[in-house]
Amino acid sequence: MGYVAVKGGTRAIEESLKRLQFERLQSGKVIEVEAISSGMRGLVDQVMSESSLYSEELAALAIKQAEGNPEEAVFLLRAYRSTLPRKHYSRTVHSAEMRVERRISASFKDIPGGQVLGASTDYSHRLLDFDLLEETTASATAWLEQYLGMEELDQEAFAQEGRFPKVLDYLRKEGLIADCSVDSTEPDDVTRTSLTFPATRSEKLQILTRGQTGAVTSLAYAVIRGYGMVHPTVGELRVGELPVYIDSPLTQNTDEDEAYYIGEIKVTEVEMLVPATVEKENGRKELELDFGYGLCYGQNETKAIAMSILDKSLEKGDKSIPTQNEEFVLFHIDSVESTGFISHLKMPHYVTFQAKLNDVRKTRKQSTEKEG
Amino acid sequence: MKRKQRTEILTAGAPDLAAALAGDIIGRYQVDLIEEPNHGLVMVKVRETAQQSLFYLGEVLVTECKVRTNGAIGIGIVKGDQPELAYNLAVIDAAYTAELDETAAWTAALLAEHERIQTVRNSEHMQVLKTRVDFETMDTD
Repeated sequence: MGYVAVKGGTRAIEESLKRLQFERLQSGKVIEVEAISSGMRGLVDQVMSESSLYSEELAALAIKQAEGNPEEAVFLLRAYRSTLPRKHYSRTVHSAEMRVERRISASFKDIPGGQVLGASTDYSHRLLDFDLLEETTASATAWLEQYLGMEELDQEAFAQEGRFPKVLDYLRKEGLIADCSVDSTEPDDVTRTSLTFPATRSEKLQILTRGQTGAVTSLAYAVIRGYGMVHPTVGELRVGELPVYIDSPLTQNTDEDEAYYIGEIKVTEVEMLVPATVEKENGRKELELDFGYGLCYGQNETKAIAMSILDKSLEKGDKSIPTQNEEFVLFHIDSVESTGFISHLKMPHYVTFQAKLNDVRKTRKQSTEKEG
Repeated sequence: MKRKQRTEILTAGAPDLAAALAGDIIGRYQVDLIEEPNHGLVMVKVRETAQQSLFYLGEVLVTECKVRTNGAIGIGIVKGDQPELAYNLAVIDAAYTAELDETAAWTAALLAEHERIQTVRNSEHMQVLKTRVDFETMDTD
């Protein structure tokens, strides 16, 4: 039996794409991109983070086109991103410059500046709100007017301008966390060079921050359940806006005051405390606090926490534990790579499968002949 | 006014201000478009706080524009799809680089806008601070 290449699917594919359009439009309603970017913040943030491209508008457009399917939306954005030139690299962004909208610590009750809950579902009842079925633009406007016009506000806030001291700086000052010197080695970039092992710290963090939310979360959960780490505690979680600047591309001037401000990006940052036993001189054991780091686009708190756990887990590097094995973690958490590979299995494999079928037939035939 | 401060004000402030300042130049000088407003990416480099090392967080969509006026090149670059603002910022940047007289008169308007932005941000921040937890320690006897 010979194998031949086949064609003939063109019309079927064209009709299939029309069918896809039909599914999106059949109710006769069109969802506006602006409605997605303003009302589906969680999904927009997730898609921006996983696609590694910060643009609320493009993320909302991708979500619309993908009918709300995040893996497809991320695929669309990654594809679009590859058509754009990378024009600049930002000046180094420091999270201490964040305009904080939410900032909590699970480790310390009394932190300088206080625990600021901001917008969070953490303390909500998780009861389905059927009033939203009847929500109108007018009712939303009335609610906003009432909320923003409420009683006079705390004047003390004027002095702060949204900036808060870092919780862990206090532990550093007390010597409970090892102080480390500033490392200004230029980062590696996994979008420009293929990943090789052992991966550098910059590669690990870049892959973790653009990882698929579910995958990053599940692997971090595995770490805590028994694959290598004791219970970590959130030292500080903050959500807010970070300013981004670039140096002038026309001159060699790196004077901060001559930088261009391009805008702010919303991020979630987590500093995770992990107790660790360290062996000192004469075999004396001492308990220290290590810490893992998580930072990702948007308000993606579970992902940022999970990233900080995996950061610390990968530092340990015991390859016999999957969640400490760089290759296991870093090669499997990317949305486009994992969903792309899994979903390609449904694409035509006629030739390879026929070859396998032939092998099965051959071995059957051989065993029948032997028995005969 | 230094570039950092003025781009912060013009980008975060009302778009009308950038349009008005750029309008002062466009009417009086020849402005050549070197690079039309176009989309590109800026890779964000961050310093993580666990080991104080650097890594790339991801890219940001930007609109960038370049113009020349009075022999000086100006760049306008801003997050998102904002072609008009990018053009206006480029014109203003060129005016400052060329040290045109008009720029001296802009300082007051820029500082006033800075004040307005601060007021809005402080007000937003105070709303956020309503969610600050006021712990009460309970009696333990």
